[in-house]
Amino acid sequence: MPRKLGIYVCSGCSIGESVDTDQLVKVGTRECKAAVCRSHPALCGAEGIAGIRSDIAAGTVDTVLIAGCSPRTKTEVFTFDSNIVLERVNLREHVAWAHTPKDEDTQMLAEDYLRMYAAKAHKCEPLEPPSDAISKKLMVVGGGIAGITAALEAAAADYEVVLVEKEAKLGGFLGGLKKRFPTKPPYTEAESDGFAAKIEQALYSPKIQVLTSATILKTEGQPGMFDVTIQSGENTTTVRVGAIVVATGWKPYDASKLGHLGYGNSPDVVTNVELEKMAAGGRIVRPSDNKPVQSVLFVQCAGSRDKDHLAYCSSACCMATLKQAGYIHEQNPDAKVYIVYKDMRTPGHYERFYRAAQDNPLVFLTKGEVVSCDASSSSGVTVNVRGTLLGEEISIHADLVVLATGMVPNAGNDTDSVLKLTYRQGPELPVLKHGFPDSHFVCFPYETRRTGIYAAGAVRAAMTGAHAEEDALGAAMKAIQSVELASHGQAVHPRAGDMSFPSFLLQRCTQCKRCTEECPFGALDEDVKGTPKPNIYRCRRCGVCMGACPERIISYKNYSVDMIASMIKAIEVPEEEEEKPRVLVFMCENDSYPALDIAGFRRMQYDASVRVIPLRCLGSLNIVWIADALSSGFDGVMLFGCKYGDDYQCHFVKGSELANKRLENVKETLDRLQLERERLESIQLSIDEYGKVPELINNFMERIREMGPNPYKGM
Amino acid sequence: MAATLRIEPDAAFVKDVIANGGGDLKKCYQCATCTAACTLSTEARPFPRKQMIEAQWGLKEQLVSDPALWLCHNCGECSDRCPRGARPGDVMGALRRAAIRHFAFPSFMGRAVANAKALPALLLVPALIFAAIALYAPKGHVEEGARKFADVFPTNFIEPLFFVVAALALLGFAIGLSRFIAALRAGGADGAILAGLVPALALIFRHSRFKECKGKAGDRYLGHFLMFLGFVGLGVMGTIVGLGTMAGVMETPLAITNPLKIFANICALAVLIGSVMLLVHRSKLAATSTYFDWYFLLTLVLTAATGIASELLRLAQAAAWMYAVYFTHLVLIFTLFLYAPYSKFAHLVYRTVAIAAAEGRSTR
Repeated sequence: MPRKLGIYVCSGCSIGESVDTDQLVKVGTRECKAAVCRSHPALCGAEGIAGIRSDIAAGTVDTVLIAGCSPRTKTEVFTFDSNIVLERVNLREHVAWAHTPKDEDTQMLAEDYLRMYAAKAHKCEPLEPPSDAISKKLMVVGGGIAGITAALEAAAADYEVVLVEKEAKLGGFLGGLKKRFPTKPPYTEAESDGFAAKIEQALYSPKIQVLTSATILKTEGQPGMFDVTIQSGENTTTVRVGAIVVATGWKPYDASKLGHLGYGNSPDVVTNVELEKMAAGGRIVRPSDNKPVQSVLFVQCAGSRDKDHLAYCSSACCMATLKQAGYIHEQNPDAKVYIVYKDMRTPGHYERFYRAAQDNPLVFLTKGEVVSCDASSSSGVTVNVRGTLLGEEISIHADLVVLATGMVPNAGNDTDSVLKLTYRQGPELPVLKHGFPDSHFVCFPYETRRTGIYAAGAVRAAMTGAHAEEDALGAAMKAIQSVELASHGQAVHPRAGDMSFPSFLLQRCTQCKRCTEECPFGALDEDVKGTPKPNIYRCRRCGVCMGACPERIISYKNYSVDMIASMIKAIEVPEEEEEKPRVLVFMCENDSYPALDIAGFRRMQYDASVRVIPLRCLGSLNIVWIADALSSGFDGVMLFGCKYGDDYQCHFVKGSELANKRLENVKETLDRLQLERERLESIQLSIDEYGKVPELINNFMERIREMGPNPYKGM
Repeated sequence: MAATLRIEPDAAFVKDVIANGGGDLKKCYQCATCTAACTLSTEARPFPRKQMIEAQWGLKEQLVSDPALWLCHNCGECSDRCPRGARPGDVMGALRRAAIRHFAFPSFMGRAVANAKALPALLLVPALIFAAIALYAPKGHVEEGARKFADVFPTNFIEPLFFVVAALALLGFAIGLSRFIAALRAGGADGAILAGLVPALALIFRHSRFKECKGKAGDRYLGHFLMFLGFVGLGVMGTIVGLGTMAGVMETPLAITNPLKIFANICALAVLIGSVMLLVHRSKLAATSTYFDWYFLLTLVLTAATGIASELLRLAQAAAWMYAVYFTHLVLIFTLFLYAPYSKFAHLVYRTVAIAAAEGRSTR
């Protein structure tokens, strides 16, 4: 329904020198059904803003169109009450700064943008954030160092916490160590005081409810209202929480697979975890005959950085070995300790620990590859090593061999789930590489592909206890952020603060299940028939569902298929004789649109035949827009989105990948219409590649000119 | 190389290297910056990275038979570049000391010369000998006129004594050397030594390695070259004069205008200037110098100084002083030569042979 539109054109920042703003005001008044349309030399100044506010106060205007700088700038200045619809037209970075001033094509570009956004604004409605009862209680799954730290930090910030631990006691792996890695300067000695104090704090904190011997039976609901059913000992309870931190930690790599290193062939070949238990329980002895240990050989990277076992480095095993070398020498100062490594990795402050450990003349280190561990001799093990720094293949006899095995995350999977989510897309956090939950999110660790659920500690990435403490703090903060945003009806990363949410016109739904499948975050559950059930607090407002729906039943109050289609139709496409091609460019708001802004900052010029429409994610591209564009006479369409694949950058994980797939289908339609496939181009770009954008656009325009105009133009 | 080498680290050896100059040995983490920085290290025989890890692993047999220990000329560039402060240059010095001790015959001499506590005893022996000669040896006919050293220290005792000293030193060298060569062969350095000696000596005489081996403290080329030439000259002179006097065709002291005497004096000055230059250089070094280092260098400087001082005092006919200073000079020459196979002086033999063995052919 038409709204009371106020169009305000800013002529500052050289916009006035580039386009005829008076002419723009005329276009706005004549064509855009505007209640008010005027220009001002500095809209962002006090006078400019005051003018707009007085129009609103007078009731003349309830929809504001600011035609000036990029919507990514001056957001704190151009902000109005939530009952006002606000749209921003980018006349500065995308018009004045990037095209020839006082030129006919530049003027046409500016006028088209005005028409597009006016058309969209008329279809928008003010946002009304949902107001549901949101729980701000947090759940932490896992009572090891990460879990306990997350719980304590959240409690210190005044949030209630439920801490769920599978074992009978808190502490996790770190609780069972003899000593832990140094946590304070000068970082040269292992520490004995563990974290018993923290465990006590967690047990007695009034804000933390600790459930031990507990397993999760199911997790229903959505952020702000997760209903988690927990069995703790004999009791079953259901708690309502707002966000969940998963800190389930790790388990050692299965050493029974390391027979080639002697494990299982001799009792004198043990793992680092077994050695730690021995040390924590008392004395370290040779398992075969309980005799004291005069020499020990540590094999680093046992089953790690190995294509047949774990591909990755667990980052903590080198430190563990150096620490355990200290245990050996504490017990027997004359014992010889050999360490055979692929590399010694002791990052950051741990380098000092390495140096201190190295100083002992009875610690012998060499790079090397262990060929075999033979227990055939009567006592101890003979280890053959090749590729050593000593230049030969060597053989060393040791009373005890310790395999430094790696860390495997305790992330659940579909058959063996920890969280047991009742989500249509599956009961667990999706996994990306090596069994770790997918938190490959660009710049956003702790995030997972399930909104409101954050991974922290060794389950997220192999790490030491000190790193897990930091990680836990970060995840706790993210969890708190998510419940606070949810309580205002706002989305989390990457569209933090977004108050729009999708609505579904279910009468026209054909149960094709594309939206429930394609939502990257599992926000949509299904009923028996396949009708989607939205859980709006899981939603990240990307619009991938909107792009997927062939019936176009999904829309937001300020973003819909119809709005974009209106924008396309509002563009004036010149007749074929005028020889002014028109190309539509869909750009994702995350990296591509900002890249074009930066090109504008740099005054990089490009062809003014393009019309840019920003999308929340390329995944929200509905292919009907391409059909609309071609039938409106557009000569070509470009898509700019973020990289997808294994090392994805797409901020909504799968969006640009889906857009590409859909584009393939459209290309088949083009074939049937006897249009060249090359009229459609899809490009993956990251923000640092802004320099390429003008070139890509210009090259495309050149190819379009060579292909000639769209034969359907003017029909 | 194909066979597997059974490793059994010699922990006592590691501790010995650490205690005697290689104090920062364990800081090395094998980055090989030292080998890359060394101007004398070659692809065929790279050092000192490998020696560092062998030292860390206490592989004494491998190390003492490694000619690379002696290819190093101790400029200290590697120590300056080492990112960990492991001071590989110092470790190489400590390893050379350990090698000399290892091959020393008799072994108690090897231990004594390296030990500061034994110094008084080592000096006492020659002091007593020369005191005995001065006090009890029959002086023969003392001519009227200018005083000469032979009045107190008769040549017919001194010269044979020094030939005995030389013989003992040569014996010590011979045995030590044969052990060293056996070890070199066992270690795989099988260059033909005799054949390699000619190019080796040419190299040494040109001092080409010293020119290349330049650390932050500058180069020792000039200092060592002067001292080396002076020493060789004095050695030749000493032998000629010794043989000459024993055969009766010469009489010492030679006249100051005698060409041989002039040549000898020039050589003595060269030794003094050269050794003082080296002393100054060593005191400027950031490297740790051990007793083993100072003992040799100070003995050299003092020998040259007392020698020149003796001559000057004799020319001035300063009665009390000339004999006293000459006595000191004799004691110092004795220690310099008799203890040569056990002190840092031994490098003259070990390094030459190592270079010859290494020149012979390139390593595996």
